[in-house]
Amino acid sequence: MTDTTSTSPTPAASGAAADINAVSLSVNGAPYNVAIATDRNLSGVLRNEMGLTGTKEGCDDCECGACMVLLDGQPINSCSYLAIQCQGREITTVEGLASRDDLHPLQRNILAAGGVQCGFCTPGMLMSAHALLETNPEPTQEEIRIGLSGNLCRCTGYAKIIEAVANTAAETPVAPPSAG
Amino acid sequence: MTEAMVPAPSEDVPAFVRADGPDKVTGSGRYTADITLTGMLAAKFRYAGVSHARITRLDVEPARAIPGVFAVITADDVPDVEFSYGIADRRLFAKDVVRFEGEVLAAVAALTPELAQQAADAIIFEYDELQVVTDLEAALADSSPLVHDDLDAYTITGDTPHGGNVATHSSITVGDAGAARESADVVVSSRYVADASHAVPIEPRAVVAQWEGDKVTVYTSTQVPFDARNGVCETLELPASRVRVIVPHLGGGFGGKCGFHYEAHIAALSRAAGRPVKLVFSRWEEFVAPDRRREGMIIDVTTSMAADGTIVAREADILVDNGAYIADASFFAQAAAMHVAGPYRIPNVRIDSKLIYTNHQPSGSVRAPTAPQGCWASELHTDELAAAVGLDPLEFRRRNIVRTGDVGPSGQTYEEIGLEQCLELASTSAGWGRDLPDDEALGVGIGWWPSFGAPAGAYMKMHGDGSAQIITGANECGTGSVMTLRMLAADEIGIDPSAIELIYQDTAVAPVGPGASGSQTLFNHGRAVEGAARQIADQLRDLAADHLEANADDIVLADGKASVAGSPAIAVDISELAATAASGELLLGKGNAEIRDWPTLSGSSCLGEQGFSSFLAPQFFCHVSRVRVDRDTGVARVLEVHTAHDSGTILNPMAAHGQIEGGVMMGVGQALTEGTRHGDDARQLNPALLEYKLQTIADAPSIHTQFVEIFTPNAGPKGSKGLAEAPNVPTAASVGNAIAAVIGKPVRRLPMTAERVWEAVEGLDQPDSSTDATTYTGGAQ
Repeated sequence: MTDTTSTSPTPAASGAAADINAVSLSVNGAPYNVAIATDRNLSGVLRNEMGLTGTKEGCDDCECGACMVLLDGQPINSCSYLAIQCQGREITTVEGLASRDDLHPLQRNILAAGGVQCGFCTPGMLMSAHALLETNPEPTQEEIRIGLSGNLCRCTGYAKIIEAVANTAAETPVAPPSAG
Repeated sequence: MTEAMVPAPSEDVPAFVRADGPDKVTGSGRYTADITLTGMLAAKFRYAGVSHARITRLDVEPARAIPGVFAVITADDVPDVEFSYGIADRRLFAKDVVRFEGEVLAAVAALTPELAQQAADAIIFEYDELQVVTDLEAALADSSPLVHDDLDAYTITGDTPHGGNVATHSSITVGDAGAARESADVVVSSRYVADASHAVPIEPRAVVAQWEGDKVTVYTSTQVPFDARNGVCETLELPASRVRVIVPHLGGGFGGKCGFHYEAHIAALSRAAGRPVKLVFSRWEEFVAPDRRREGMIIDVTTSMAADGTIVAREADILVDNGAYIADASFFAQAAAMHVAGPYRIPNVRIDSKLIYTNHQPSGSVRAPTAPQGCWASELHTDELAAAVGLDPLEFRRRNIVRTGDVGPSGQTYEEIGLEQCLELASTSAGWGRDLPDDEALGVGIGWWPSFGAPAGAYMKMHGDGSAQIITGANECGTGSVMTLRMLAADEIGIDPSAIELIYQDTAVAPVGPGASGSQTLFNHGRAVEGAARQIADQLRDLAADHLEANADDIVLADGKASVAGSPAIAVDISELAATAASGELLLGKGNAEIRDWPTLSGSSCLGEQGFSSFLAPQFFCHVSRVRVDRDTGVARVLEVHTAHDSGTILNPMAAHGQIEGGVMMGVGQALTEGTRHGDDARQLNPALLEYKLQTIADAPSIHTQFVEIFTPNAGPKGSKGLAEAPNVPTAASVGNAIAAVIGKPVRRLPMTAERVWEAVEGLDQPDSSTDATTYTGGAQ
């Protein structure tokens, strides 16, 4: 028998160079003008072109959530999002959460609760939690679970992560509804 | 929401913010795949893609001809070395025969990962297919094809009885179990079958290698940097002094990253390419290729009892799926025998356990190897025993478990142990006996797991400003154990843990140690660090004695000061002593973990002794799970897990709770969803996270944990035992017994998927019915 086909389920590279597009996008508030091949995923561009390796790659299949970033505030799996689709858009990665001097409350609380072990899921988990609290500042336990259900963690058993998000929500003042 | 939605409170757990925490939450921490070196190339492997075949042609020239490809290497390009623990049955690259689909034929280095994949695909591989071995029972037949034609052609070490497709055979024999069965009142036989499963760390493994002259530095996502280094040295025939293994932050391991994997492939590839090379695994590769996954098992167990439920004998035959190569699994047969025996007083034992070669992916140490499956079978069987004599499962266990001073089923006499307390604490916490809806039940599982003594060293130095460094061969795979080393050193020296930095995961600077395997970090590396810190403490006491004009034996080191016992006002800052030392005799310490001997046995004989017939500093535990089962769909949901663990003294409560919760969650996955399915061609059918389901945050039960802190002498630091593997052991058992209590019969296959639960409810679980549990009253008639 002869087997000259790929043994990997990943499609074989065609060998033909993909088109290159000039893309302007903003990452963590900084503007970038980059030349991006049409077939590049966002996580690869963030990690390799921009050196932002806080965004992790765990499955390349939208199953683990380690690559979660915010695209105009919405959480997306950046492994499965084409970078050229980000023209003119704002991306936030885990590197954009903390200020120069202080951890973000979610970062502080996930450490305080013991919700970080190996840390590989943590950036994606934080981005999902951040997106959740932006839209729902006072989530119930169940809403936290739904909001983070796209992020796998193998170390913690999740309880301390739920606790960290709940503690962050509890300590963050919710703006009263505006008058009138 | 129900109470199950509320996570266990942790207010009572002292705060512990891990030293590597800020690095991990900000994204600044580097993992292996994050490393980029100047001129670095990308690596891809060409895999066999067939489970058993004789190689007739392997032509790499088409790959080498592709522009941008720097190197393609095969077995022809590395020393012809066979390696592995126990049976040296494997080479880096397949030669002549491939024995599982994930076997590496060739490695390619090219400018980009895409180009490397294209080149790997261009390699021409021709072969003659051989018959595959997939069925553990059929593999034992004389007529079975053999995975390895001649095991005796390999170098075999240790007490490793083998032959045919049997890699190792271990037994436990105590008394005369057959005779005891003949005269017993009640005899119950059961069969249980567990599928293989996977460690699934969220970080896929990665390796980066770079040569400088005749020395190579390998960055790798291993749990065991010294094993990785030794593997490179052995297979590439290099001295240890020229191989440096550095582990950046490690994104989880759970045993899957124990042992030696692809460090030598990438080092050899980098040397051939003349460039640094990086390998990053896909999730598919992570499922299919490494020789570390949890082994499938078939367990036939028969227990004989007196009418009052006293166990008089256990007989068992265990088949463990080794897969194609032995990796580190030579002890699995014996370990499985211990878990099927269980922590019970059993005066007559006959257990035969065989590790079987198949054409599956090789099995290897995943978090408490053989224990979750063995415990699941033993504990479901135990509930069947209780039912057969009309006893409550808890009461049945009370009558038969091992207690302090008892002799266990392999002939080991136990010093002070806390199994009895674990059983009572977990069952009380769960409200054993309370009324529950008719689709819910509680289930109990108990078990045990050893601690492991291994050589480990540590260095320590205190700087002139009073800060200090620990230099350790320990490996932080996430548990927090390495972080906890600071606390042990701080206790000895009397300074704040935050003043101590950790230098770890670099074989060039640290003394040897077992790394993050076998729950050994604190047990062994911790004792080494204590030893190193004590040497510095002794030096500080001498300096303080001079300074304070006191006796060194009277100096107390605490809160950053050296003071005279009983006279706290007579004191000097430790930082001042450190400054004095910096201009004289430097403050340097080194420590060695004293080797711990395995407990001796009496009255038993064991074939295939692999070091698992007695348990050093044994850990004991009990989990009680509340499970809801939908009888119409077979869907089971774990609502609560109540745990109690005797792991000796708890050194870091927050990290310990984290290990319990993570272990329980992994156990719930093994119980309900995590199982590898194989085709008739021995290849995996579900090597992806979409088809191999981990538990998500939405599935998480509430977990309630208590520790039975028995100070254990001749064990780890401060009377501690190991911890990280134990919580993974009894969860599936407790879930299984809860499911059985709801539906009225055990589900005899692991994982207990919705389909299998439903089949059991409907009486359709025929595959096992020929060997289904037969309960009969024998001698009492």
